[in-house]
Amino acid sequence: MDESLRERVMVRLERCVGCRSCELACRVAHSQSGTLWGAVMEEPKPRRRIFVEQAAESPAPFLCRHCEDAPCVRCCPTGALRFDETSGLVAYAVDRCIGCHACVMACPFGVVQPGRGDLFVVKCDRCEGRDRPACVEACPTRALVLETAFLVDRRRRAVGRFVEAARLDISEADLMAAGSAQSP
Amino acid sequence: MKTLTTTARTVCPYCAVGCHLDLVVENGRVRGLDYAVNSPVNAGRLCARGHAALEILTHPERLTRPRQRAAYGWTTVSWNEALDAAAENIQRILSSHGPQALAFLTTAKGTNEENYLIQKLARTLGTHNVDHCARLCHASTLTGLGPMLGMGAATNPLSDLARSHCLFFVGSNLAENHPVAFRWVQEAKDAGAKIVVADPRRTPTAWIADLYLPVRPGTDLALLAAMLHVIFRDGLQNSPFMAQRTSGVEALRASVSRTDPSWAAPITGVPARDIVRAAHLYAKAPRAALIYCMGVTQHALGTETVRACADLALVTGHIGTQGTGLYPVRGQDNVQGACDMGALSGFLPGYRPVTDPQARRFFEEAWGIPKGTLPAASGLTVTDIEQEAGKSIRGVIAVGENPLVTSPNTGRIREALQRLDFFMVMDLFLTETAELAHLVLPAAAWAEKSGSRTNTDRRVQWSPQVVPPPGQAHPDGQMVIELAHRLGLGRYFSYDGPEAVLEEIRRVVPTYAGITAQRLRAHHEGIPWPCLDDTHPGTPVLYENRFATEDGRARLYPLEFGALPEVPDANYPYCLTTGRGKLHYNSGAMTRRTTSLMARAPHLVVELHPEDAEREGFRPEEPVWVVSRRGTVKARVHVTQAIRPGIVFLPFHFPDANRLTQDVLDPWAKIPEYKSASCRLEKVTRE
Repeated sequence: MDESLRERVMVRLERCVGCRSCELACRVAHSQSGTLWGAVMEEPKPRRRIFVEQAAESPAPFLCRHCEDAPCVRCCPTGALRFDETSGLVAYAVDRCIGCHACVMACPFGVVQPGRGDLFVVKCDRCEGRDRPACVEACPTRALVLETAFLVDRRRRAVGRFVEAARLDISEADLMAAGSAQSP
Repeated sequence: MKTLTTTARTVCPYCAVGCHLDLVVENGRVRGLDYAVNSPVNAGRLCARGHAALEILTHPERLTRPRQRAAYGWTTVSWNEALDAAAENIQRILSSHGPQALAFLTTAKGTNEENYLIQKLARTLGTHNVDHCARLCHASTLTGLGPMLGMGAATNPLSDLARSHCLFFVGSNLAENHPVAFRWVQEAKDAGAKIVVADPRRTPTAWIADLYLPVRPGTDLALLAAMLHVIFRDGLQNSPFMAQRTSGVEALRASVSRTDPSWAAPITGVPARDIVRAAHLYAKAPRAALIYCMGVTQHALGTETVRACADLALVTGHIGTQGTGLYPVRGQDNVQGACDMGALSGFLPGYRPVTDPQARRFFEEAWGIPKGTLPAASGLTVTDIEQEAGKSIRGVIAVGENPLVTSPNTGRIREALQRLDFFMVMDLFLTETAELAHLVLPAAAWAEKSGSRTNTDRRVQWSPQVVPPPGQAHPDGQMVIELAHRLGLGRYFSYDGPEAVLEEIRRVVPTYAGITAQRLRAHHEGIPWPCLDDTHPGTPVLYENRFATEDGRARLYPLEFGALPEVPDANYPYCLTTGRGKLHYNSGAMTRRTTSLMARAPHLVVELHPEDAEREGFRPEEPVWVVSRRGTVKARVHVTQAIRPGIVFLPFHFPDANRLTQDVLDPWAKIPEYKSASCRLEKVTRE
C-alpha cells in the first residue's frame, strides 16, 4: 500500500442524486475480476463499502470516515483495526481479525459491515492501489470528492463569489441571499 | 434544567472476562457507554454483546411488577402480596413434604452476595437442594481439578496468556466467546508463541493456529491420552517437577501405555503425526498454557477429560508459574463467584463439602442456626432437580435461570416443571421458563444493583448501582432477604446492604477473608482470591509453592475410557454438536431481546459441510428440520468449510436447540452430554 498520507473522501450531500453509481463502482473495485461483467457473475458476490441511504429528504452516501480515535479501533480486541499514522486511514488487517464484530456494533455511522465468506469485516479501504477511489471516480455529480479537490473547489467558488459581488457592487451576503450563489 | 453528566464504572453483565463498562449517566438516566480505556481488564476493548448491554436497562419488555398466574393468563400483584404468596406456598410445601421437597436454582448472573444469600436461605430451611448453571458448564472442572490440585478454578489470570510460548486450546472458542481476552493470545502469537487448537470446527480461535486438530466431538479424551503417551514415550515429561510436587505418576503412565497416536487417530479423526507434533509443541515449550472450555467439560466423560487436561499440565510441569497454567474459561460473569459462594448442592461456601461434619458444624455455628439443620447428604443438582420436579420436588425457586432453553432434552423438562405445586421465577424478562411459573418477580439488572462479582481470573470486582431498577423491580438479594423474613428466618438475615453480606462472606470463606467492599471500591481492578487478610494483595497465580491438597502435592489420575452414549447410525447419520456464537449469549434471554444483535443474527442456523449439504440437496439459507431421538427443530442451513463432514453444529441460544441434546450425565459432575448427539436432517416440505 502507498505509504503516504491518503486524502479523505468528502461528501457534498446537496449534490447527491442517489444514482448509486458509487455503490456499483465500489463493488467492481472490490471484486476479484475488477470488471463490471465479471463482478456481476462472481461468487461470492463482491461487497460494497459505501451505502447510499435516504436521510431525511435527500439521498446520502455513507462511507468510513477513517476517524482519528475511532470507536472501532478503540474496541477492537486484537488490533485488527488500527489507525495508520502514515496513511491517515483506519487500516484493517484480516490476519489479526477474529470476527467478533465489536467494530460492527461500535461504528456510529454503521459503515463497518459483517463480511460473508473470507472477509470477516467489510469496510472502506479507500481503494488500496488506486490514486482516486472508485466511488469518487464514478460519481457523476461530484458529490464525492477528494479532500484537496474539495478545498480547491471551495476556494475557487469563494473567489468567484467575491468577484461577482464586486462586479454587482453588493455585499457577498446579499449575493448569497439573492440565490445566485453556488453551493459551498 | 442543568444537565449533570457523570460516568460510573460497572462490570459487564455478559461473559466471565469481567470487562469494565463505563456508563454515562445524565440526570439519573443511562445515556451511553464509554470505553474504559484505563481498565487493566479490557483496556477499553469491548465485544459486540458488551456494546449492546445498555439495551437491557431500558428494554420495553422488562418486568416491572410482580405477576401471579390466574385462571386465564396473569394478574399483576403488589410487591407485598407477591412475597406473601411466595412465603405461604413455601410454608405449605415445608409443612406437608419437608424441606427436601424444595429446590433453589440460583444464578451465575447474580452477585456473590446474592448467591450467598440464596444458598443460605436454602440451607437454613434445611436443604442442600441449591444449585446453578455451573452444573451445566464447569461442574466437571470442580470434580476433575478439585481432588487433583485442590481448587477447581483457573490457575492464572487471562493476561498471563501473553507470556506463554505455547497455547493449547481444547474445546475452547475463546475468540468468539471471550473476544476481549483474545488480545492476549494475539500478543503471545506476535511474540512467537505457537498456537495449537483442537476443535471439531475451525473456529475463529483456530484461524491463527499453527496446528489445528480437527477432533471429533466427544473424543478429546483419546486425543489427550495419546499426547500423554507421546510425552512419556519420547521422554518429554518434567521428571523433577513430578518427583517434587506430584504423586501417582506410575498409575497414569500405565493407563496411557497403549494409547499411542495410531490408536487415537481413527477414533479422533486427527492424523497421528499431528498428535505427536501437538504433544511436542506443548511439552517442549518453556512456558505453555492449556485453555479448555465446554468442549471438554460438557460430556458424559467430562470429569475424565478434565483430569486428562490437568495430567498433561502436571506431567510437563506447566503449572504454578507465570505464563503457564490451566484455564477452565468460565462462561458467565459470576459463575466462579457463585461456585465460591456455595451455590452448589454438594458444597458449602468456600468449597467445604456438605458431607464433612466439621464443615456443617462450622456453618451452623457461624449462621447461628440450630444444630443439625444442615443435612449430611448432598442435595440435588440442577439436572436432578429437573428430573425430580413434580415427583419428590414440589416447589422450585429459580433466580435468573432459563432451563427451558439451556437444559438438555428440554421437552422433558417442560413437562416436569409443569407438574410442580409451586414454581417461582425471579428474572428481568418473561423468559420461556418464567412463562411456566406460578409467580414471577421482577429483578434488577447489573447496573441497578451493587455487589461483587468474580471473573474467570478469580478477580473479585465491585460493580456499583448506577440507576434505580424500573418500576417495582428489586435486586435478587433484597427479594431473598424479604422472603426469609416472611418465612420466620429474619434473625439470620439482618443485613443493611450487600456490603454487610460481603462482611459475613469474608468471615466464613477463607479465600475471601481480605476482600471488603471498601477495598474493592478503592481498587477498581479488583482483587484475585485467595486474599487472606486486609492487606493481602491477592493471588494472581495459584500453586506457586504448593498445591491446595492435604499434602501439598498434586495427584495425577490414571485415565479411564468410556463409550460415547450415542454414536451416529443409519437412522441418525450425523453427529450433532452444540455451542455458542459471537453475537448471542447463553439462553438468549437478554441478547434475543436486543435489537442490534438480533438484526445481525436473527435465527437459528445449523452449520454443515458443503459435501453434506450437497448430499442432502440443501441450498444455503434453506430452512431444514434437525431431528434427534428426542426432538425436532427447524434451522436454516449455513454451509461452511469450517466444520468436518458428518458433523453438524447448532448454537443453543435459541429455544428448542436443546430439545435435541442428550440428558446423559457424567457420573461425578452430573453434567449433561451436550456436545455429541446423533441426528438426521430433513427437508422442510411445504404444507
